[in-house]
Amino acid sequence: MLSKIKSYGLMGIDGFAVSVEVYISAGIPAYDTVGLPDAAVRESKERVRAAIRNSGLEFPMQRITVNLAPADLRKEGSVYDLPVAIGLLAATGQISNTSFADEYLFLGELALDGTVRGVAGILPMVIGAYGQGVRKVIVPAENAAEASYIEGVSVYAAESLRSVVDFLNGKAALTPVPTRKWDRAHISYPMDFADIKGQQGAKRAAEIAVAGGHNLLLVGTPGSGKTMLARSIPSILPELTFEEALEITKIHSVAGTLHGTDGMVSERPFRAPHHSASTASLIGGGQRAMPGEISLAHYGVLFLDEFPEFRKDTLEALRQPMEDGSVTIARAAVRSTYPADFMLVAAMNPCPCGNYGSRIAQCRCTQQQITRYLGRISGPMLDRLDLHVEMSEVGYDDIAARSTGERSEVVRERVNAARRIQTERYKTEGILFNAQLTSRMTARYCALDAQAESLLRKAFASLKLSARAYTRILKVSRTIADLEGSEAIRAHHVAEAVQYRSLESKYWGDTRR
Amino acid sequence: MKRDYSERERYLLWLGFALGPGAKRYGRILAAFDGDARAAYEAAGRHDLPPECGLKSALVEKLCASANERFLDGCFKRLLELDVSAAALESPEYPALLKEIYDPPPVLYYRGTLLAEPALPIAVVGSRTPTEYGRKMAHALSRTLSESGACIVSGLAYGVDCIAALGALAAEDNPYPTIAVLGCGADVIYPAANRDVYEKIVARGAVVSEFLPGTKAFSSNFPMRNRIISGLSRGVLVVEAAAKSGTLITVDCALEQGRDVFALPGRVTDEKSEGTNALLREGQAKFTVSAEDILEEYGGMHAVKARAVPEPEDLPLEQALIRRLLLASERSFDELCELTGLSVPLLNSSLTEMEFSGIIKQSPGRVYSI
Repeated sequence: MLSKIKSYGLMGIDGFAVSVEVYISAGIPAYDTVGLPDAAVRESKERVRAAIRNSGLEFPMQRITVNLAPADLRKEGSVYDLPVAIGLLAATGQISNTSFADEYLFLGELALDGTVRGVAGILPMVIGAYGQGVRKVIVPAENAAEASYIEGVSVYAAESLRSVVDFLNGKAALTPVPTRKWDRAHISYPMDFADIKGQQGAKRAAEIAVAGGHNLLLVGTPGSGKTMLARSIPSILPELTFEEALEITKIHSVAGTLHGTDGMVSERPFRAPHHSASTASLIGGGQRAMPGEISLAHYGVLFLDEFPEFRKDTLEALRQPMEDGSVTIARAAVRSTYPADFMLVAAMNPCPCGNYGSRIAQCRCTQQQITRYLGRISGPMLDRLDLHVEMSEVGYDDIAARSTGERSEVVRERVNAARRIQTERYKTEGILFNAQLTSRMTARYCALDAQAESLLRKAFASLKLSARAYTRILKVSRTIADLEGSEAIRAHHVAEAVQYRSLESKYWGDTRR
Repeated sequence: MKRDYSERERYLLWLGFALGPGAKRYGRILAAFDGDARAAYEAAGRHDLPPECGLKSALVEKLCASANERFLDGCFKRLLELDVSAAALESPEYPALLKEIYDPPPVLYYRGTLLAEPALPIAVVGSRTPTEYGRKMAHALSRTLSESGACIVSGLAYGVDCIAALGALAAEDNPYPTIAVLGCGADVIYPAANRDVYEKIVARGAVVSEFLPGTKAFSSNFPMRNRIISGLSRGVLVVEAAAKSGTLITVDCALEQGRDVFALPGRVTDEKSEGTNALLREGQAKFTVSAEDILEEYGGMHAVKARAVPEPEDLPLEQALIRRLLLASERSFDELCELTGLSVPLLNSSLTEMEFSGIIKQSPGRVYSI
């Protein structure tokens, strides 16, 4: 009258084994679920009852106790419907052979008619279970694709409760889904670098930013192509490795945003939340501490258009995850850590009306308005944006006349080469690219020769750069040298890097009034 | 700063301290006592001000209450603390030109050095949000004028005012390059962002105001300030002004006070130049394209000193190419990229080097110019 079924629960993208225990005893018919269930888990009894009856099986009219162990961790979602139903059937002897319980792990939601429905978070659960020794899992057919990438796990796709029961009773076969090898699907990007006319300077900045994993700030008049450039950045990002893809998929699996993929995220994410986004939606949060946009952009691009229009506290909240590459969200009941290693691309107008510095249109803003607008970007935030670049204004005549430039794949090749140099150089440091250099590492890897040193000194004097800008310039110089394949950082590398910092004194500095 | 005030000056200033700004009532009270401020002080001390003063009862009360040595000493002590000096109309350092106007401020508060007759004071006024052209011209003209010995008078607001002061200060040989007239107390820095310019002006010129120290920058103060800007100057140069610009108030003051008005022409399509172009069309202002146009009005006594423009030599080929292009007109980064055919990394580093050598300059929109 007692059965024990294996299942799995999530906290963030990691999880814990859940043992679903069902005990049936004589007494007044009742159904109790214990073990910190949330509302969705408590409601499962209605689904389980209907699904069992509608699958032509018998629901016991006895006293039923369901325990989800460990009893001190919160259980969320509808993923326990299937294990509870199987447990009930095993406890009432409707599944004759009970040896399966040690072997199989069950995950899935039930529909009232007995169909097994897909749930979020299958991939991290299967990975977690695999780590704990499970080799056979029964998952909803809908989620079979994402689970099938894990080598060494037999994944059974469950269509309905009945088919699972028949399988366990040996009446019907359920063949495991073949393990799939992840092959980087031929990704077609909606935007190519060659689609952008002109803007050679901004494209170059984007290339450097991607090559060194730097954050990028685009400033330009409306219609100068900030958004277009940002949207084409994924096309020059280095290709995903399997491990990276797995980690991204885990997050998206938890967030339930895997629909429309074949189970695995195969391209770097590009997330562009609107500027009305709340802190919780950007950083992560909610009652269940779900991943936010910054985690969904993990290993990809987080594009914040109209940067100063974001709420100030929301922007400031970005700072810590930007430094750490991960974010810990603490709520009363849960505490989850999600990776958040993203490249931030921010875009903004130079002033509220957008025409400041334009040669075509007149700016109607007062100096105070401009100062207030720019002031929404705090110094520390500005500092975390390694490259600042101004978009050139595009007049009507230019659109047709401008040259297009290189295709994304050409640029991507250079980016890949520069990334390889960095990976090789930093293999003992535990970092991947230049943007992650700490100040100690900067001193070690970004040594300048005398000529470059004197140029940088001049830059400080004439641009009134902050001390904070110093390391940023060094890191960007490092990337520029890497793109050129040069081990030494030379004066012309520094000279170019300085161009991506000169905006600061021009707009945020005190030289203009 | 000034520490010694003559006996007569003390009481003239007392009336200013007690009344606050406003030339009319000050003049009326002084006239009632035949110009003897001490007599007014004593009469007020006896609560015996004659009706010709024409003061409201509240003000009479205020005046009587402050007619004692404790108040007066307190005022001078406060001036010392704030490092502010005060000049009455009769004081030797009170600017001679300002005395000529219809309603000169009876008391002028200042920081720095006030000169009765500075060499060729010229006011430079214009938009608070000038175009790049306006910025460039305001700076260049002020600098050249200042290098030729003129003293630039401005209002220390955003835009042309501040740029003019900076241009004047750039002339390192001029011992008295600029005067700033404030619409707040002489000790109040408004806008606060201009603190560094303010300090430089105090060190080399003067910051003056007719408002009591500590007065905040009320918007109603600014039109009053404008009459002092033009009053202190022999001529007023308008750099950029829209059709209904506040700058034109200064021009009206200048015309009333019989000062020369100079205006810099602008493009007819620029709304920031509508005001200046209208002044030129109506013949109210002299067409001005260079500092010489202004200096020749004053007898050529202030010849323009030629500034040595460093002629860059031995520039690398690509830098020479960029320079040639920019000499013709300003160019955006994209245009330079197209026109020179240089690779972006090379162009970037060349531009940085040229910026540091002072050959070119970058402005918002990533536009480069010589």
